[in-house]
Amino acid sequence: MFEVRFHGRGGQGAVMAAQALASAAFQEGNYAVAFPYFGAERRGAPVMAFTRVDKDKIFSKTLIYEPDYIVVLDDKLTGLVDVADGLKDDGMAIINSNAKPEDIELGKSVKCATVDATTVALETLGQPITNSAILGAFAKATGLVSIDSIVAGIMDIFGSRIGEKLAAKNANAAKVAYERTSVGTCKGTMTYEKGGKWLPDYKELPLGLATRPMKTPEGLVGPGSFVDNKTGSWKTFAPVHDPDKCIMCRMCWFYCPDGAIKEVGEGDAKTLEFHLEYCKGCGICANECPKDAIKMER
Amino acid sequence: MDRHQGGETIGITIKTLPEEELFTSGHTACGGCGAPIVVRAAMKILGPNTVTYFPACCLLVFGGTYPHNAFKVPYLHVLFENSAICAAGIKQALNKQGKEDVNVVAFAGDGGTGDIGFQALSGAAERNEDILYICYDNEAYMNTGIQRSGSTPFGAWTTTTPAGTKIGGKELFKKDIPKIMMAHNVPYVATASVGHPADMLRKIEKAKNMKGFRYLQIFAPCPTGWRMDTAKTVEVAKKAVNSGMWTLFEMVDGVITLSVKPKMEPVDDYLKMQGRFRHLTDEQIKIIQGWAYKKNEMDLKFVEAFSEDKKE
Amino acid sequence: MVKRVVTGNYAAAFAAMLARVDVIAAYPITPQTFIVEHLSEFVNDGLLDSAFMRCESEHSAMSACVAASATGVRTYTATASQGLALMHEVLFIAGSAHLPVVMPVVNRTVAGPIGIWAEHNDTMPQRDTGWMQVYVEDNQEVMDMTIQAFKIAEDKRVLLPIMVCLDAFILSHTVEPVDFPDQDKVDKFLPPYRPDHAVLDPKDPMIIGSFSPPEYIQEVRYQTDETMRNALEVVEEVNAEWAKEFGRDYGGLIEEYKTEGADAILITLGTVTSTARDIVDEYRAAGKKVGLVKLRFFRPYPTEAIRKVASKCKAIGVYDRAVSFSAGGPSWIEARNALYGYTIPVINVLAGLGGRDVTEPDIRLMFDKVLEAAEKGEAENEIVWIGTRGVKP
Ligand SMILES: Cc1ncc(C[n+]2csc(CCOP(=O)(O)OP(=O)(O)O)c2C)c(N)n1
Ligand code: SF4
Ligand code: SF4
Ligand code: SF4
Ligand SMILES: [Mg+2]
Repeated sequence: MFEVRFHGRGGQGAVMAAQALASAAFQEGNYAVAFPYFGAERRGAPVMAFTRVDKDKIFSKTLIYEPDYIVVLDDKLTGLVDVADGLKDDGMAIINSNAKPEDIELGKSVKCATVDATTVALETLGQPITNSAILGAFAKATGLVSIDSIVAGIMDIFGSRIGEKLAAKNANAAKVAYERTSVGTCKGTMTYEKGGKWLPDYKELPLGLATRPMKTPEGLVGPGSFVDNKTGSWKTFAPVHDPDKCIMCRMCWFYCPDGAIKEVGEGDAKTLEFHLEYCKGCGICANECPKDAIKMER
Repeated sequence: MDRHQGGETIGITIKTLPEEELFTSGHTACGGCGAPIVVRAAMKILGPNTVTYFPACCLLVFGGTYPHNAFKVPYLHVLFENSAICAAGIKQALNKQGKEDVNVVAFAGDGGTGDIGFQALSGAAERNEDILYICYDNEAYMNTGIQRSGSTPFGAWTTTTPAGTKIGGKELFKKDIPKIMMAHNVPYVATASVGHPADMLRKIEKAKNMKGFRYLQIFAPCPTGWRMDTAKTVEVAKKAVNSGMWTLFEMVDGVITLSVKPKMEPVDDYLKMQGRFRHLTDEQIKIIQGWAYKKNEMDLKFVEAFSEDKKE
Repeated sequence: MVKRVVTGNYAAAFAAMLARVDVIAAYPITPQTFIVEHLSEFVNDGLLDSAFMRCESEHSAMSACVAASATGVRTYTATASQGLALMHEVLFIAGSAHLPVVMPVVNRTVAGPIGIWAEHNDTMPQRDTGWMQVYVEDNQEVMDMTIQAFKIAEDKRVLLPIMVCLDAFILSHTVEPVDFPDQDKVDKFLPPYRPDHAVLDPKDPMIIGSFSPPEYIQEVRYQTDETMRNALEVVEEVNAEWAKEFGRDYGGLIEEYKTEGADAILITLGTVTSTARDIVDEYRAAGKKVGLVKLRFFRPYPTEAIRKVASKCKAIGVYDRAVSFSAGGPSWIEARNALYGYTIPVINVLAGLGGRDVTEPDIRLMFDKVLEAAEKGEAENEIVWIGTRGVKP
């Protein structure tokens, strides 16, 4: 039996990757299951998916807490989520990154494979969608499934969702990534804020969850407490503001769905502050600015 | 008989909109979502003396997942299809407590409004319950993963109107919920769009200051469900109005005025921006163009028939 | 105190007035309709100062009650049968959010086939919604329990909604003398509702009903379970206080009738209890050792009280006016669950489904079956359908 946990963001296709891996393992005569972390995450939010493979029928219906492998579709997640949490000491991390395995920092030092799946995807698909390429890296790094089976798994799962032609492109992405994967050992130097979840017992929990604003050791809860949720890590592009061009018309401030733009200062000194810790990088501000005073940059 | 009082505005604009956020950052809507633009602005106008209601919809989930919440004002969710009546129940209870000055607002999606929630909506409107009802229209059931609603336009791809080899997208036309609400003869019915902020702010402020049942339907693109660039949310909303795919008007005590005269630009540009229309055939685009012309023609007649000078 | 001859529906409506409810939201359905009509008269005659929301459906009526209760006021509605079924989805919210809505339910058969007469298949399926349920026997009890219901529901240890269940027509449309409690005495018994746990007020913002991950919901379930168990004690206390103030003692969770020295005890609920009292008298006079237990509260379920009863007899019969197909009547299922480990026979007697009259011979047959089981120490048939054509009881 081996267990894999995928880390990605809503919209990156972590679930499809987990399913394609299951299909690949199945085609090699194994029993395999794949499932999402059942959530209601929107596009961009960190998500998880799981694959479990064994020779015999799998009965376990629990989430995976101590995976043998973790697969990370977006290396920015490694600074945010303790992706190696529970990863077995002899396990391995497979990460989409243009860095060498030795330069990757996780919560623990483990065997690590990297591939620049984003570049592979841009070359093969024309889009930065990495869920197929990363499976090629998985095959190469672990040797647990052949690249041919990965191709078959992608054709099976992707094919039924996005059609034969696009699936074939994705299969190709996996093959290219297979060739470009390097394996080494990552650093275990990353530390994570142990924020922890507020988990009061049933007596402390407000009756029926009717909740007033409260400060807990784990942060704010109740009305207005979402300010603690820093959504800025979702972005790929960030707005860069040019105050010289800006006429302080407030259009960007008004349109920003995330309230990430604040007006500061008085009179002539008035300017804008971009709170990148919330900005999701949608680009609306740049698109709507009448003076072209905002540029989106990677 | 005029059923409303109030409706005075001090003319809140983007320049004068308060800085304070009653709907905070940190919410989990997809990047570029149109709905939080509506909600953030509306909460700034409504102010802290407000109680809010939310049905099941994207906004319920991205606005708060226990124990966290983006709203700083009282917040209630009960179910999917009872927004109008729940808001009405809150209002009646507040009145009983002598808190008549509190604004009660329901924010709901197009599905929760015009489909499953329509019975409660119609009932509350008929009884002229003293609430503000804001429907953010993203033209599908987004929360459950992009299924068609009555508000989904002709031709649009959704997961339940897929672009198949035999049938390409939705075969039926968008339900005109605002007109149905007008037929309820409530004090205020208006449409707005995130692409026309000045008009939207004016309407929200006006509705806030009126009494009786007030209905606002605000066009709020969903880049995820419409399969489009997140930066284009506002742009696409503007194009919808300019091409006549979405009309801005308001009805105050039976008098209808057009807020923005549609330029009737060809619909092509609007459709091309969105992946949900990628599969359309020329034939289908023609049908949509025809629909926009016909709708525009009817709207103009409608406005004419219910104009100020036709009022006795 | 005034005594008047009124219907159960009138008593239910009048009790709402005595309880000074703030918000009423309702929708008419036979046989509850008169409750809505009477309330309308009270409001339009200026006797009742409530916001009265004449909704367009029961789903909305219950939604309005939930929202109003969450805003912090006393709320009331009434329904029956299809109306209750339509409310089903909303009932859970009141239970989990701890909103003490009071609702008389006129027990009526749920379609299909469509009918309007008494059956408990409307309220029984709602037992897991987090609502308390009390089944009543006469119009006085309709009045008294509707008022007590507010006190029990609003108790800080409970804070759960409650249904007062009365049989269609047999109570709802039948007149009998009822003592009308004095308003000032009721006011003393039932102070105004001033909640702290759930109040939508901009001066003290609160989120109610937010989307919740699994980390929290199990604790919420436990809260409802615990408060439901707390109600066991509160019901007894409120009953005692009512008895003291108004002179009528209902026994609390259950009422025992001539159970001392009984070999065979029948557990009933609803109006069948009344006729059964006559039969107990008749059988006792004839030297037959029978007794009667009126199960008043079905939620919270009085497990301990039922066990005590079982310890002093040789067989128990449980009457049901509803059936859980292939498994027996719901009241019987619960009684057997409570009596796990007891060795006496516990049989189920089903009668009066769809509103069929439950006659004296029917009830004699019930007692005979329980007596027979008491004598033999076992029952030939555990589930006995009484008065069903083609089925041997
Ligand atoms: C009675 C009921 N049926 C179905 C659902 C599932 N459901 C939740 S939200 C939703 C769609 C919401 O669509 P809309 O109102 O347009 O809001 P959006 O998600 O698009 O913002 C559905 C079908 C539900 N919660 N309750
Ligand atoms: S939209 Fe452009 S010009 Fe206007 S305030 Fe923003 S950055 Fe300045
Ligand atoms: S990119 Fe989007 S989220 Fe970021 S500041 Fe601009 S509008 Fe706001
Ligand atoms: S799915 Fe659409 S409506 Fe829902 S949060 Fe995402 S962008 Fe907004
Ligand atoms: Mg929608």
